[in-house]
Amino acid sequence: MLAIVRKEETMTLAERHNVHTSGSGPRAMVFAHGFGCDQNMWRFVAPAFEDQYRVVLFDHIGAGGSDLSAYDSATYASLDGYAQDVIDLCRELGVRQGVFVGHSVSAMIGVLAAKRAPELFDQLVLVGPSPRYIDEDGYVGGFSEAQILELLEFLDSNHMGWSQAMAPVIMGNADRPELGEELTNSFCRTDPEIAKRFARATFLSDNRDDLNGFVGDTLVLQCSEDVIAPQAVGEYVHSKLPNSRLIVMSATGHCPNLSAPAETIAAMKTFV
Amino acid sequence: MSDRGDPPGALPGDENSEIEDLTDLFENAPCGYLSATPDGRITRANRTLSGWLGYPHGELVGRRFPDLLNIAGKIYYETHFAPLLRMQGFFNEVALDLLGKGGQAHPVLVNAVERRDAEGAVRFTRITLFNAADRRRYERDLLDARRAAEQATADLHALNQTLESRVAEGVAERLRLEESLRQAQKMEAVGQLTGGVAHDFNNLLTVILGGLEMVGRQLENLPRGPATERIQRAASMAAHGAERAATLTARLLAFARRQPLDPKPVEPNRLVTGLADLLQRTLGETIALETVSGAGLWRTMVDPGELENALVNLAVNARDAMPSGGRLTIETSNAYLDEDYVADIPEPVPPGQYVLIAVTDTGTGMDKQTLERVFEPFFTTKEVGKGTGLGLSQVYGFVRQSGGHIRIYSELGQGTTIKIYLPRSLIGAAAVADLRKEAPAHGGSETILVVEDHEDLRNYSTGVLRELGYDVLEAANGHSALEMLQTHNDVDLLFTDVVLPEGMDGRRLSDEATRRRPGIKVLFTTGYTRNAIVHNGRLDAGVQLITKPFSFAELAAKVRAILDT
Repeated sequence: MLAIVRKEETMTLAERHNVHTSGSGPRAMVFAHGFGCDQNMWRFVAPAFEDQYRVVLFDHIGAGGSDLSAYDSATYASLDGYAQDVIDLCRELGVRQGVFVGHSVSAMIGVLAAKRAPELFDQLVLVGPSPRYIDEDGYVGGFSEAQILELLEFLDSNHMGWSQAMAPVIMGNADRPELGEELTNSFCRTDPEIAKRFARATFLSDNRDDLNGFVGDTLVLQCSEDVIAPQAVGEYVHSKLPNSRLIVMSATGHCPNLSAPAETIAAMKTFV
Repeated sequence: MSDRGDPPGALPGDENSEIEDLTDLFENAPCGYLSATPDGRITRANRTLSGWLGYPHGELVGRRFPDLLNIAGKIYYETHFAPLLRMQGFFNEVALDLLGKGGQAHPVLVNAVERRDAEGAVRFTRITLFNAADRRRYERDLLDARRAAEQATADLHALNQTLESRVAEGVAERLRLEESLRQAQKMEAVGQLTGGVAHDFNNLLTVILGGLEMVGRQLENLPRGPATERIQRAASMAAHGAERAATLTARLLAFARRQPLDPKPVEPNRLVTGLADLLQRTLGETIALETVSGAGLWRTMVDPGELENALVNLAVNARDAMPSGGRLTIETSNAYLDEDYVADIPEPVPPGQYVLIAVTDTGTGMDKQTLERVFEPFFTTKEVGKGTGLGLSQVYGFVRQSGGHIRIYSELGQGTTIKIYLPRSLIGAAAVADLRKEAPAHGGSETILVVEDHEDLRNYSTGVLRELGYDVLEAANGHSALEMLQTHNDVDLLFTDVVLPEGMDGRRLSDEATRRRPGIKVLFTTGYTRNAIVHNGRLDAGVQLITKPFSFAELAAKVRAILDT
């Protein structure tokens, strides 16, 4: 008798999203990275919560160590696709009444997910959130429409970033990924095409209406001198969410989780 | 000399000159240098950089480095490179665009590294900027070249693909043509064979029918009795059989397309009614034949035999489209094709009055692709060996040759209607029909020269003509006929076979005779008319022809008619 054994090839969502879990606790704390890098963004912050939480790190599809073949330009043309991923992934992981920590564009992704699946998260930490990056009719997003269009046009007509990484693309050495792999950017692997689309989904999004009616317990962490999400935007988000608290940090830039991890952790601990 | 000693190869000098040297190196190095606080605020920038950007020396201090970048670079720096620098302590060769004071872009490659103190805290960030204008241009050229190469490859691929399909199409077309040619050659061979056999048959049938008629005429002069009646019955039976054989021969000739078109005013209703019997037999028992004759139908000028042939062809097609039975309707009516209608027809068809013969079946119908090709010669939907593919094209050819128009309507599962529009003829039909069938066998006393190489046939023809009272001369070929014309200057009518031996056919004989004896009348006969007096399938104008087999009465009428014109 011959027994035929089939290899199970279905990937779990956790594998697709390159999930790393650590720590232990009754609740899960899920960290979501924004436009730019990947779960490495949380490397200085996440360990501080491992003693009380089950810490979940993941990469959005198209970023970091995620399954790039799962990237679908239609699904991820807006933040809804990313929010659905968060819901599906957290359900697979059995997350309930957890804490969602979202940086940058993932802050709004977290709001969308929490509205759709309220059982997942009791608390949201929004680091540098922005529901709308473009200024409009009295709303201050931080960018003029022309500037965002300039960004998108620049991305369409140029390669942004590491020239060395472009070498394989330019020379057509797609069969030798190691040429682009051993580079300076091991923390920030980005497929240029996906990065362009993610930029489009991020900077053209307008999720201001999605803030309406969200009553979840929320902490808004706002940096000083953040050119991506200026303070006015943080105040706007805070004003729209009735159960939110706003902390303006002395950290500058857009990534306090990297530039000021201690201040970020301390601010979060006042909340969770 | 300082006590720490100069490094080997260093220029001798005091500490001041060393600082001066290093300062010069920093300020005027071939790359931009700047130092910044951990959050990116510039604390020092060299002259090279401020020179590139058009800022007075020192004016860059206090600005944040990302503020020197274009908007895309600023966003990318904040979201990608600043985090990267924090995570791994450096980044190398990041391609960004600086903006000069006037807004002009300066492509640069940026390296950055964090400098830390003994405790690991970041003291400052060193950023080095290389002018990358040339490199960016090469990269762009390279990308353009790559895109062009990809495009060229794609074009070539597309070309290859169309080339393949074009070659395939060409080969298929060639094969189709070759098949058509093969079919045409086969048909030609079959046609020649059939035509030849039919020719010989017609000669024989003329003799047989002539003989039987002679028997009949002689019997009339005998006293009536049982014996003569038996002979009469036998003779008419034999004549009937011979006529059937003649019909068969005519059909063979039509099939071989050796039959000249001889347009006559035709009454379509009469023709259809006369054909009904044959059509019903063609269709078989499972198909009902219905004819709907339009009232007051006009006449049309066509070759009746060919029209019959066309209707038989259509009936055969209809039968094959109704394997499990059905109904075939032949409807006639008057029709007017107006300017608008004919404008939409590809062939030149004049507007005006036409006689419509519509043949409708309740068969399987045809799809659009089939309809488009249905009149093409050799196009057939039937199995190999079942159809010639000539039926409809023959009908089409005949209709067009007759100055008519044909239209086909078909729907899958519903059936097919073929409408034949034939031009109205204003010439009366009765006279012509009478000439053929009903003219009394008047004779005469004129002189007729009969030229026929077939001896039995010659004897038959001369016998008939003599019986009618004519003075008859005879010749077996063209040359002896001409000699005879030399010696007899009273010949009124030359009655000659078209096909004659020894290098002079009926046509040449006729030409020569007419040249020598202007005014002489000529009557041709043939069982196999192909080229001598027939061009493009029609008789030349003014040519008189009696086709074999002909009867006593027909020959008598024809000869009298010609002599009387």
